[in-house]
Amino acid sequence: MSGFLKILENEVQIAALSFMAVVYILRLAWIFHFRTRRDRTFAVGRASAGAGYSLLNIAMPRAMESTRKRPGFYAQFVVFHVGVAAAIAGTLIIPYAPGLFDRRPVVLLFQGLIAAAFVVGIVRLVRRLNNPVLRSVSSPDDYFSLVLLIVWFAAAVLAVPNRPENGEGPLIAYFALTAFFLVYVPFSKICHYLYYPFTRYYLGRSLGHRGAFPPAQAGGVRKARGKERA
Amino acid sequence: MKRRKTGPSGVVEAPLDPRTQARAKEEGLASVEAGRLRTYELGDNSRRFLELLGSRVSRPLAVSLTACVHCGLCAESCHYFLARPDDPTMTPVWKADQIRKIFKRHIDWTGRVAPWWVKAGSPRDDEDLNRLKNIVFGTCSACRRCTYNCPMGVDTGLLVRFARGLLTELGVVPEGVFNVSRDQWETGNQMAVSEQDYLETLEWMRDDVRTELGDDSVEIPVDREGCDILYTINPREIKFDPRSIAQAAKIFHLAGASWTMPKWGWDQTNFGLFSGDDKLGAFVARNVYEAAERLRAKRIVISECGHGYRSTRWEGYTWAGFDQKLPTESVVVTLKRYIEEGRIAVDPSKNPDAVTFHDSCNIARSGDLVEEPRDVLRRVCADFREMYPNRRENFCCTGGGGLLSMAEYRPLRLEVGKIKADQLRATGAKLVCTMCHNCIDGLNDVIKHYKLPMRVVQVLELVSNALVLPAKGA
Repeated sequence: MSGFLKILENEVQIAALSFMAVVYILRLAWIFHFRTRRDRTFAVGRASAGAGYSLLNIAMPRAMESTRKRPGFYAQFVVFHVGVAAAIAGTLIIPYAPGLFDRRPVVLLFQGLIAAAFVVGIVRLVRRLNNPVLRSVSSPDDYFSLVLLIVWFAAAVLAVPNRPENGEGPLIAYFALTAFFLVYVPFSKICHYLYYPFTRYYLGRSLGHRGAFPPAQAGGVRKARGKERA
Repeated sequence: MKRRKTGPSGVVEAPLDPRTQARAKEEGLASVEAGRLRTYELGDNSRRFLELLGSRVSRPLAVSLTACVHCGLCAESCHYFLARPDDPTMTPVWKADQIRKIFKRHIDWTGRVAPWWVKAGSPRDDEDLNRLKNIVFGTCSACRRCTYNCPMGVDTGLLVRFARGLLTELGVVPEGVFNVSRDQWETGNQMAVSEQDYLETLEWMRDDVRTELGDDSVEIPVDREGCDILYTINPREIKFDPRSIAQAAKIFHLAGASWTMPKWGWDQTNFGLFSGDDKLGAFVARNVYEAAERLRAKRIVISECGHGYRSTRWEGYTWAGFDQKLPTESVVVTLKRYIEEGRIAVDPSKNPDAVTFHDSCNIARSGDLVEEPRDVLRRVCADFREMYPNRRENFCCTGGGGLLSMAEYRPLRLEVGKIKADQLRATGAKLVCTMCHNCIDGLNDVIKHYKLPMRVVQVLELVSNALVLPAKGA
């Protein structure tokens, strides 16, 4: 392995990750500087239960009509994000636990997951380009982030066998893109995962307090926990 | 803000008509003089808009403004887009983006440095603000169906109300919104019902119930202290259809309830919810809460009204900074309790026609009542049938968000009412029941426009029909 690749896999990644962490801390501080208002009403349900339900909504495709009616879209979402997780894991395994990729089934598993995400990425890009609704709202960041991910997936598929002796190109591309990602993500739509807990928490807390989240079973009236119907 | 061509709906270019506002100013209305009701002024409104935006964004709003990933899943949850599938400007994401792009340009990070990269932009002049007005008031009923269908939990309904509130501060509002806000500020109720009209209508309804029951002890008490129930209503009940007051009075009488209506603070509706004006919301809600305190009532009961219920039961306490002290419930919950406790007897065969139920958005999605009205209807109707989708997935009646007061958006509202019409038609019911006065008018418009063979009723009417009256002298 060349010295350049070694630095790229280690020091550069740590520097980029540190930068990302700092920006995220600032971003969280920015979010927290906005005020919230206290709910002054008697509760019907439990805010914490609502927030929990809302946060777990991501794993409940039946909960929303939008995903219930489009199981294919939900499946794409799962494949895409599992691929992202696998590709991120690859950036840690290669420098810190390279032995894992000595096992061919593991490499094939990672390659399969990331390749599936690559295909979904292409499908999503085509959808974004073809669908008039998405075209009307898409910004350069939306396209760039998606293209960047697709290219990163491609590099990851080639890099995870971790065979620098066969040529360092894929590994250099993979880690260079990863470093760029770590720096770029906090400023792009990709950092939506940072906001997800907030949006879902506030929505769930509010609707949980009102007894709307989690939804009661049809045919059964929620048992009042507050003072309202005691 | 990038200029765009007139949307296919034509709504986006509806002009701002500030003449009524100018008249209110000339007349020196108290609410205008005191600065509570804002009127449109020529000047740097864009700058003022941005100042308001910066000072009013809350944390739940900020994260909803930043979290959208433009996945487009919200599109098919919106009845506007379902009825106009070739028009991307009808999608929740596009509407929300018109607010989001301003937030990004002035408050968020990337948009301030590289606005073109994230499609951030500013309103340049009053024309742009007017266009935003038409989007947030004219193409969204703030039903929050998209909120429930957003994987990220982006609350587009909240964003729309927020933007409406900023525009209301500048007087950049549809004439109807200004008129109703003016009436509620000036008279304490949104239809400018005078105290005399109010009291005379209550007496009239009392006399009707006395005649119907042959019982002169029936009362509609006003400002009676120490009652169990403070009953609050929608001004529409006084102005257009007071039968619901008579129905409530009859049921309260038969149930042996201790109840009263207040002379002031009887309007449970709240246009602040629709205009986004938290000050108006606080004023109206506080009127009700203070009436209950003044009369030492033990419970506030809200007549059948979707936005009134949401405002009085949920949002109003926060707007008014008023900690809830009394149980506050819909009259439908009261009816359910009376039936379950045997305080009134009902016979479902007295309502033989097929009845379906329309969930009010403000009650089902932004409130807590979904099964309660169904429990009542199953007990008082012989043939209750659901419409699909229902409960929290129901579609708006098309009259939500204050749209009934905005005549300029009526053609689009009726066009997108096709979704509701299809839902209603599929039930085969003769009656559609709803616990909301806005929904009554919205559904009546849809029924008339799409020539559906059905009629709108409320829960009170069906319960009243189903009552088994005690034998005279018993």
